[in-house]
Amino acid sequence: MSEDLTQRHSAFRFHGSWQEFAKIAFPNLLLSIVTLGIYRFWATTREREYLWAQTDFIDERLEWTGKGMELFIGFIMVFLLLGLPFIVIQLISQGLIFRGETVLAGVITLLMFLLLFYLTGVAYFRALRYRLSRTYWRGIRGGSNDPGFGYGLSYMWKSFVGWLPIFLLVPWSMISLWNERWNAMSFGPHRFEANADWKPLMKRYLLFYLVPFLLVAGLITVAIVAAASGDQLGAIGGAGMAVGGIIVVLAILSLYIILPLAALAFYSKYFRLAVGGLRLHNLEFDFRARAPDWILFFLANMAIVICTLGIGYIFMPYRNWKFFVDHMEAYGEINIDELTQSKTIVSKHGEGLLDAFDVGAI
Amino acid sequence: MDTFFNVWHYDGRSAVRRKVEIQTIGRQFFLLENERRHGPFSFSDVEYVTRKENVDVYGLADVDGWRLMLSGPVPAELAELLPAYRKYGGWVDRLGLGKATIAFTLASAAAIAVVLLSPQWLAPLIPSSVDKKLGDALVGDFGGRFCSTPAGDAALQKLVNSLDSKPQDLQVEVAKIDMINAVALPGGKVILFDGLVKQARSPDEVAGVLAHEIGHVREKHVMQALLRQMGLAVVLGGVDGNSGALVNNMLAMSYSRESEAEADAHSMKALGNANISPVGTASFFDRLSELDGSARNRDEGQGIAGYMSSHPLSRERKKAFEKSIVKGKNYKPALTSAEWTELKTMCTQDRKAKSGFGFDFE
Ligand SMILES: [Zn+2]
Repeated sequence: MSEDLTQRHSAFRFHGSWQEFAKIAFPNLLLSIVTLGIYRFWATTREREYLWAQTDFIDERLEWTGKGMELFIGFIMVFLLLGLPFIVIQLISQGLIFRGETVLAGVITLLMFLLLFYLTGVAYFRALRYRLSRTYWRGIRGGSNDPGFGYGLSYMWKSFVGWLPIFLLVPWSMISLWNERWNAMSFGPHRFEANADWKPLMKRYLLFYLVPFLLVAGLITVAIVAAASGDQLGAIGGAGMAVGGIIVVLAILSLYIILPLAALAFYSKYFRLAVGGLRLHNLEFDFRARAPDWILFFLANMAIVICTLGIGYIFMPYRNWKFFVDHMEAYGEINIDELTQSKTIVSKHGEGLLDAFDVGAI
Repeated sequence: MDTFFNVWHYDGRSAVRRKVEIQTIGRQFFLLENERRHGPFSFSDVEYVTRKENVDVYGLADVDGWRLMLSGPVPAELAELLPAYRKYGGWVDRLGLGKATIAFTLASAAAIAVVLLSPQWLAPLIPSSVDKKLGDALVGDFGGRFCSTPAGDAALQKLVNSLDSKPQDLQVEVAKIDMINAVALPGGKVILFDGLVKQARSPDEVAGVLAHEIGHVREKHVMQALLRQMGLAVVLGGVDGNSGALVNNMLAMSYSRESEAEADAHSMKALGNANISPVGTASFFDRLSELDGSARNRDEGQGIAGYMSSHPLSRERKKAFEKSIVKGKNYKPALTSAEWTELKTMCTQDRKAKSGFGFDFE
């Protein structure tokens, strides 16, 4: 038995509706408030249960089997293993500054930040691992046997190399880390293969990178032209001031509009390349959203949040997931008989580290 | 809703979908698939997993990925044997959303009340040896910044003796730091910054500030604040970063106002007992509030801003000190003019004491 995906319209389909999601999101908000936020782990779980269950892959829906308690335990672990020691270390370094041991206090603080940086990398890895291990399709799940400690080191040095040449190698570090992360993951008996290439990303990155310089150069040109014409039309008076005002407004607008647009254009290319380089046995993946789709998505999200005075924020998990599934595509074929259960270990605790640092998984 | 009762099964070993019928025998059941029979399985091992639109999904304890999926009208005799549908999970399902919300609200309110109110009676229970160790760990010798001359020390000790009945539990020091500030720390430590002593116009002013800090020590404000902060960090740990910090700061602030008022009251009483006039302290506050408006750009501006942030000035505070003046009372100066000169010049005379705060490496 095998499923041929070549003739299919799309392997992934999303059936959810925001009205149904609202019936989950509003009670979640209420319960999170009255429990001082503790319920949010169960809230996240209920939302994912719904979103996964509304997502069809070929002919069966996905299942989210994570538990709120797992996320809660993860959070408590992070609090005990990281939060408390950090408070103590901060107290100690404050004491050291009091005693005039400024250098030692600086070294301790630096080490603390390095550790935090390392753990952020580990957290990214473990979040992906956790999500795959709790995602079932036809009774089969994913996962990884790698605890992600090595990835944490890669995350440190690759990020550093990305920043070193005045941030020019950031695309390389992003793609290289994506590949490393996904190459360690598997679904069922099959290992993911991630071979995305970073070079095609450079053009978009340079666009984003150069936007501030181009803007400044453009504005200076406009200003010079305006000043020159202002001299000639000195009689009109006030006009120079008005032009100056317009330039300032334009500068601010372009900083807040053009820069985010360039960033979205870069990110859309990054995500397309990254997903496009992903393979699972005979399956290939594709993410079809292009820069205009991302920009519309982003503007709609802003509009929703602003028009609802912030309450629309609770619909963002729904919007994000729908956007993701609507644009995901898979090609190739799956041999159902060969797709056997994953032998990876299942960690008992959830995204604790990740929740503490508040980063996204994919 | 499907019109027909439909059952299918994944065995968790492969992704093959099996169309089955359920054959119930007492508390056990078999799954019949064409010529194959799966089982027996025990109903007590069956767990509710999730609902996918109109499909209820069940798992089996300890069998990874084992799934039983039912859609359409489930026969009543079978439904009785299966675990109940889980909506919110755990307590919320048992109590119902309304009752659970009320219960959680009460529990949260109780937790916050305990954290806010318990430090008042917990702080005195902390043994003074712990308090002392904490203070020593935090301050040590203050990086050699404490000033000391025989005559200056004697003048300071005279001031402390007149303001407190048990001066032996207190360790009052003048630090060679050019800031208008004074702090009370754990272990009965009070540090007057040289900047404050230098700009004071009379020993009465220093006495008022010193008595205020001794008030913080005697009322155990430092330990209380420490316990309260730790408690709030735990209770509000579940709330997301920003709103948690906001609530935390607001609560801490309202408590610090209360502590300041208590310390002021202590100061006025101590001044009265020592027969020192509160006029100096009132005018000291007056001068500070005047300086505050104009001095931010000057060198000492930072010092005053520092004092302002930890000791909010208000007209009421100044007025309270003015009110505590007893007309006709024969006040005597806190120190003789010789003693006052010694105290004021102590840091200038003591050449061994290091100066500044933090970032000099001499
Ligand atoms: Zn105070």
